[in-house]
This record gives sequence, C-alpha cells and structure tokens, in this order.
Amino acid sequence: MSEDRIEVHGLTKTYEGGDPRRPALDDIHLEIPRGRFVSLIGPSGCGKSTLLRVIAGLEEHDTGEVTVFGSTPRSMCEAKAVGLVPQTPALLPWLNVRRNVSLPARVNRRAGRGSEDPDHLLRMVGLEDSARKYPGELSGGMQQRVAIARAFGLRPDLLLMDEPFSALDEFTREALQLQLLGLWERMATTVVFVTHSVREAVTLSDRIVVMSARPGRVHEVLPVDLPRPRGRDVVTGPRMHALEDRVRASLQSAWEAGAAPDDLIPL
Amino acid sequence: MATSAPVRARRDGGAPARRRAARGSRLGPGVWLPTAVAVLTVGLGWSAVAADQPYLLPPLSEVGAILVEDPLLFLSNAWSTLSIALLGVACGAGTAFVLALLMSEIPVLRRAVMPLAVVLNVTPVVALAPALVVAFGFGMTPKVIVTAIITFFPVLINVTTGLRSVSLPVLHVFSTLHASRLEVLLRLRIPSSLPYTLAALRVVFPLSIVGAVVAEFVAAGSSSGLGTMIRNAAATARLEYVYAAVACLAVMGVLMLALITLVERRLLFWHESQQRTPS
Repeated sequence: MSEDRIEVHGLTKTYEGGDPRRPALDDIHLEIPRGRFVSLIGPSGCGKSTLLRVIAGLEEHDTGEVTVFGSTPRSMCEAKAVGLVPQTPALLPWLNVRRNVSLPARVNRRAGRGSEDPDHLLRMVGLEDSARKYPGELSGGMQQRVAIARAFGLRPDLLLMDEPFSALDEFTREALQLQLLGLWERMATTVVFVTHSVREAVTLSDRIVVMSARPGRVHEVLPVDLPRPRGRDVVTGPRMHALEDRVRASLQSAWEAGAAPDDLIPL
Repeated sequence: MATSAPVRARRDGGAPARRRAARGSRLGPGVWLPTAVAVLTVGLGWSAVAADQPYLLPPLSEVGAILVEDPLLFLSNAWSTLSIALLGVACGAGTAFVLALLMSEIPVLRRAVMPLAVVLNVTPVVALAPALVVAFGFGMTPKVIVTAIITFFPVLINVTTGLRSVSLPVLHVFSTLHASRLEVLLRLRIPSSLPYTLAALRVVFPLSIVGAVVAEFVAAGSSSGLGTMIRNAAATARLEYVYAAVACLAVMGVLMLALITLVERRLLFWHESQQRTPS
C-alpha cells in the first residue's frame, strides 16, 4: 500500500450470470503514480469501464486488492476525493449550469472538503456566460464541459473519466481534449481516462494501458513520451503518429490474444 | 439574407422570441377556428334535437337561463362538491405520495403494500360507497374517502415509477460523492419524479370530481352538492337543471386542468414535455 499511487493487484471480477471461465476482469495488475494521466484502451468487452467503476468504488470485485493512495475506493468517496465524468454529461436538468457545477459542494457536507468557486470553474471551461442557463439549452459539448467543471470542483485527488467525449463530433472533441489538458496541468490531479480512441489516448496520456477482451486483461502498458504542455503543434507532430501506430499495433495483438466475441460475424 | 435573419434572432434572445411566436400562434385563427367550428356544430345539433324532443335534451337557452337566474345556487353546490373533491385529492394523493416515498426506500414495504393497493384499485369504489355511507353518515367523510380511494392509485403508481426513473450515470456521480440516501432522495429522486407526479395529478384532479359526484349520488339524503342536485332534478325530470349542473362540473374540470398545466409550466420548465417544438 502506497500513499502516492493507485495499486491494483490480482483483481478478478465475474459478473453474475457471466461465464466463470471468462471473467470480466482477470488477474489485473496495475500501478498508477499520483499526478499522472493514464488512459485505458481496448476492444469492447475488455472491462475498461468495469475497471474504472471498481476504482471508483461503484462496483465490488471478487478477488484481489484495490487501493487508491493508500485507502480503499469507498473511503476515497467518503472523503469526496474522487471526481467522476461519465459518458453522458449526467447533469441535473432542473438546476442551472452554476448550480450543477456547485452541486458536489452541497452534497455530503460531512466530508468537510473545500471546493472551488463555481464561477472560477466555469471561466476555466469558458462557460461563464452560460452560468444561468439550463442544461437543456446547451449543446452536447457544452454540457460535457459543465460535467468536467463539476468534477474538478472539489479539486479531487483522483479524476475518473469514462469515454467523456465519445458522443461528440471530432472538432469539438479535439478542442475539449486540449481544454482538459489545460485544466489538468493547473489542477495537478491523477486522471484515469477510459477511451476507445487511439488518437485521444496518445494526445492526453502519460501512459496507455492496452487491455484485451474475454477475459479482460492488461495486455501492455505503453509510455507516451510526448512533451508537455501539449499544444496543437505537439499533437500534430510526427512523433504523435509513430506513437499512434505503436498503440494500434498493440491493440491488434491484444485483439488476437483475446477470444473472439460471440457476436462476431465471420467474413 | 433571408436565412441569416432567424439565426440572429435566436442569438440575441431565443427565449423571448419563442414565447412571442407561441403567443402569436395561440391567437391565430389556425388555433381557435377548428375549435369554434366544432363547438358550433355540436351546439346546432343539440338545438335541433332539443327543439324536436325536449325530453331527450333540454334547449340550451333554458339551461343558460337557469344558470343566469340563480347563479348562487349553483356556486354554493359547486363549492360543496369541489371541497369534497379537493379534500379527497389532498388525502388520497398525499397518502399515495408519502407511501411511494417509503416504498422506494423500504423494499419490504413495497411487497407488503403493492398487492393491497392493486386490489383496492380493481375494486369498483362505487360499490364501496353505500357501505361507507352506512359507516360514516351523510356528512363529508364518506364522500372524501371515496374520492381519496379513487385518486390514490394513479398517484402511487406514477410516483413509484418516477422515483425509479433516475439515470444511472447521475446516480454514479452521487455515489462517488458519497451522498446519503436522504440527499439522493431529495436532490435526485424527488425532482426526477416530478414529471410523473404531475402527470398523475393531471389524471387525478378530474377523477376527484367523478369521485365526489358519485359519492353524492350514493349518499341519499345529503343536502348539497352538484351530484345531489343532479340526482334530485333527474328524479323530477327537470333536465335543464341536470345539464346546468353538468355544465358546472365540466367548467370545474377545465379549471383544474388549467391549474395543473400552469403548475407544470412553472415546475417542469426543464423537462422535454414542456419544450415547444417549432411548427
């Protein structure tokens, strides 16, 4: 147990009614040092979202051990030290943007965790003019920015993001990626980011955890040695492409290592 | 140029523009004309039948005359029926709401109460009414109970569904914040259930009038209420009184619906059901 990293050891999880020979997560070992940006990538069914939810304390696991900076995921949540950005923005439609962002501060006051000024957070994601609007009046990209501002609001030690940009168009997605990097560099938090986009993983991460499916395993952990801060010049450079190719090759071999999905149509 | 105009209008104040458009369309002949034609047709048909066979339908002029002649009679009877209906809704819907909250938090209670509630719902309450009159007399109590029973079930079912209709990602966000069950209930489940609750009230408010009138029919010997009035007038074949009272009941129903619609606009401005689609 270490205070300065997330440690996952021998983690196994089989869903109720699932095939016990093919657990959703099988003997996962993973270490994520504090302050890093780590992406989980892999084919569908590799358990990357499940792993994220276990680290978030939202799901139980069967065997193995998960510690986040020396404590359990549950006690991290009790201390309000975890921020979550789900795939859908998951905003409360009856609260305006400002009140959505300040929601974490108003819930579970027992934890006694300080929070950022919501107006400051909205300025950081460029939504200060929309503070009085309601989520229904915003575009998908703006809604996701509100969700990100909300997650950063408690200055969480750990920020968990589950394919937050997957529903957005490519242009918006790239803009939000750079905005997220800017926020992260200022807030200095640890991020675990689930994605199915190779480009996104390389753009954002310090490390990429490539996973294979059926059973869900860690196939390979690839370091991303691109300089920071990553502006548009870094993200479009030749080293970026070389790294993308490496991740793609790793995903290909991960795909071959796992069993074929049951619904695969043979050509 | 023609295409840039709506874009600009939207940018500097989309909401007032939309509201103005909605108000305009509400007053336009496209909206009131079909209704007016339908009302006129029914009115003319009614008059034709009434002129021919006054024992089938009373002439509209007579119905109107009675209403104008003694409006206080109808108002006092309407108030008597309305107070029963409103008290019944308050008791029935209130109990149902509280029970739905408790059931959502205590699953055992749900398994215990739900079968009873279903049986109560399929039992024709009209059949219960005479027994209630025997038990509670001719006062307000049996009528309020009948109305409460009728309004109970729709609210129970809708609120129960509404309290469960919380999206999983939002629930996950609350879980990572370690929100207490009370916080999840107050900040998430109850607001999420509001559209369902109001949909139930939309059904239940008119139903409460049905309940009150039926109870008045059954409670022979009660002295006031539109239901009593209808029963007594029908017994002496004074159809114009019957239809005047029916008209009062219809107006009450419309007013209740209008009230609910207003409340929905204020409380559910964020919900899909309140988004006006441009047409």
